Amino acid sequence: MQETLLRIKEVSKHFGGVWAVSGVSLTIKSGSIWGLIGPNGSGKTTLFNTVAGLHRPDAGDIYFNGTRINNLNPHQIYTLGLVNTFQIPRLFPRLSVLDNMLVAARGHQGDKFFNNLFLRKSWQAQEGELAEKAMEILELLELDHLASSPAGELSGGQRKLLEIGRGVMASPTLLLLDEPAAGVNPKLARRIFERIEDLREKKGLSYFIIEHRLELLFDFASWVYVMDKGRVVVEGRPAEVAENPTFYQVYLGE
Amino acid sequence: MDPLIYVLDLVVFIGIFSIVSLSLNLEFGFTGLANFGKVAFFLVGAYTYALLSKAGLPFYLCLIAGASTSAIIGFLVSLPTLKLREDYLAIVVLTFGEVLRLILKSERWLAGGVWGIAVSPAIPIAGASARVDTLINVGLVYFCLVICFVVVQLTTNSPYGRVIRAIREDELAAETLGKDRAKYRGQVLALGSAIAGIAGGLYAQYIRFIDPYMFMPMLTFTVWIMVILGGPANNWGALLGAVLVMLFDRGTNMAKDYLTLPIDPINLQYILFGVLIIAVLLYRPQGLLKESRIKTKAIEMIRHARNAPKDKRS
Amino acid sequence: MIVNWAQILFNSAVTGSLYLIGATGLTFTYGLSKFPNFAHAEFVTLGAFIGYLVAEQLGLNIPLAMIVAFLIGGIVGVLCHRGVFQPLAKRGATIIHLMVASIGLGFALRYSMGALWGWKPHYFSTTWLSFNIGSLRIISLWLWLIFVAVAVAIVMHFVLVKTKIGKAIRATSSNPELALASGINIDRIILITWFIGAGLAGIAGIFRAADTQIWPMTGWDIILPVFAVAILGGIGNFYGTLAASFIIGLAENLGVVALVATGISTEYRAAVAFLILIVTLIIKPQGLAMLFRRA
Repeated sequence: MQETLLRIKEVSKHFGGVWAVSGVSLTIKSGSIWGLIGPNGSGKTTLFNTVAGLHRPDAGDIYFNGTRINNLNPHQIYTLGLVNTFQIPRLFPRLSVLDNMLVAARGHQGDKFFNNLFLRKSWQAQEGELAEKAMEILELLELDHLASSPAGELSGGQRKLLEIGRGVMASPTLLLLDEPAAGVNPKLARRIFERIEDLREKKGLSYFIIEHRLELLFDFASWVYVMDKGRVVVEGRPAEVAENPTFYQVYLGE
Repeated sequence: MDPLIYVLDLVVFIGIFSIVSLSLNLEFGFTGLANFGKVAFFLVGAYTYALLSKAGLPFYLCLIAGASTSAIIGFLVSLPTLKLREDYLAIVVLTFGEVLRLILKSERWLAGGVWGIAVSPAIPIAGASARVDTLINVGLVYFCLVICFVVVQLTTNSPYGRVIRAIREDELAAETLGKDRAKYRGQVLALGSAIAGIAGGLYAQYIRFIDPYMFMPMLTFTVWIMVILGGPANNWGALLGAVLVMLFDRGTNMAKDYLTLPIDPINLQYILFGVLIIAVLLYRPQGLLKESRIKTKAIEMIRHARNAPKDKRS
Repeated sequence: MIVNWAQILFNSAVTGSLYLIGATGLTFTYGLSKFPNFAHAEFVTLGAFIGYLVAEQLGLNIPLAMIVAFLIGGIVGVLCHRGVFQPLAKRGATIIHLMVASIGLGFALRYSMGALWGWKPHYFSTTWLSFNIGSLRIISLWLWLIFVAVAVAIVMHFVLVKTKIGKAIRATSSNPELALASGINIDRIILITWFIGAGLAGIAGIFRAADTQIWPMTGWDIILPVFAVAILGGIGNFYGTLAASFIIGLAENLGVVALVATGISTEYRAAVAFLILIVTLIIKPQGLAMLFRRA
């Protein structure tokens, strides 16, 4: 039985007179991959960023696991289990790949000042476990051999993978991925999605993914929302959406 | 002057400024906070010590009080400056320091105004020679330095240190990954200010007299040069920077007595200083010592177990 | 307590004029090169010393001193930009690195002047006419200051609105990428603003020193209020700076009245600019820029 994780109700967001997102409503349930697709400028990233707490919605409500998150800070939203990643990876360049992963970890006792300084035993063991978990994920993403390298030295494709890896490391209930396979060749893109699906099965994650290429969502997503000019215009199973004439008008007509 | 005292005096100053350097390194080197008002927290520590010591409290309480007062003010400064861009933060804190100085200059009843206030030494020994006095100060200052160093080192070479570095690299990304930047900024500024406050108290009781003219922005800038020269985000670098800058300072002062130069050594010293900092920024902005890596036991195990040669990168 | 409003208004105009001349350069270089140049204080001081050199040591007149100070100051400004800030920016220096570099540069300049002229204060030997109009006390130096400030304002306005260079400056200020795409030689524009900015700072230095003294800290004595003006006016925005100069000038002088009335030390006069600076940055860092869209 799928439970509702994310409920977006009539959410709108404008920037200086331009409505980037306009009356969007959608629901994300647990246990699968949900897709968000649409032409450039349709408001997909703005929607994600609003959900993640980077912007406040100008209208509407956003609920995560029943909690209204409209006015929460990004770090509070993370604490509830909703983890956001960025289209252009925002890594910590001078920190190692492994350190990047560890920052993403949830509930590390060593993050607290007093624990860190005075109760060192309390987090030493945890650090070990988290490091193991991080290396597992890095292995899956074929980045493990770069664990000690500064994240700033990674190639474009590797950065995208690390961004995804960090998101997974955060033990999210729902992970938002913004074009995780953008700018990489189709074969690598497919491999990335296979990894995502792998991790979903192994770790029991749910994903909400923005992706340009419908064929990828076909094979991996169970439900797709189509946005255009700030609104949701079509939704349904990928196969249904592909048959929907509105989808063609909107998406391929540009 | 007695050469031994001369050397010991230099050692004491190096110790005091090493502490300040450590505190700025924590704030800027590790967390990316451009604290251009460092002297303000040094001043708060110094004046708190002076006033409480005059009221008769034992030196260790005065030092602790100085650290605490500084810490509280550091925390308060972190609140309104949370969303400020780094250069705006720098200007605000710099100006804040000047406001504090102005208040101390104008309010004679507080601490003597421009006429300053005398401070009694922390550990006076009746009838002790100047040498013994200075030696005692060396002991006291370095005892405090060791404690501060250990605290800062443990704080920065750890998961907590990982978080503050992440905040330095990309505040927004760190926030998205669950790190409350308001909390961390507040904590770092509080700790950094506390440490600077200790240094201020030590300074006050050592030179036995303080007035507002001793706490000019120049002091902040000098400490910035220490941190950048030694290597930001490296605590040994902060110490190294303090040593080098203080040696340079004293060295040029000494040169005045032994060399005849066309330019007055004090002017020459600061001209060279300025040129030096520009040269460092141009040619070695990462400073002399590189950023320290986070070495927890777990990380080290993983590194050794799985480290592959760099040419295997795809 | 009797308040001499005429004097207050006049003094505000004087203070504001000084700040306008000093801050114009800062607002442009801060806006275009994107970092606060603390060596701007030394540009002011340099002007004072060049003025001293020309007017006192060479025995020439003050207007000539101002012209020379403007030119030499401008050249030094350009050298600083080309020799220090531009190379640093090219190597990827952050705002803070540039700030620290400007502080180092300030040290080098300040102590060079200290080496050349010494740290004992010097004075302009000119005697300025002092006269009263009713209850208003006026010194001819102040009239000159206001005159020059007004001239600067008119010339800057004309340049910004009517000349090609001025339009290029405004374009680069508001949208550097677009300016570059439109074929504007940004490099040259920035060079010109550094020249003008440092030159004007030098003139401000002469006026400040004529009113007080010439010594290596002449510029630093007024640098924070000058920053306050640049920030209140909105960095990179000349019209904002124009308004902010007189707002802060007025605020300072009203502040003195308030201090005297409440018996608080008039040392706190400086705090007026400090507080305006802090409050502006915390509440509205873009300053008055919104009111003056045309930069």
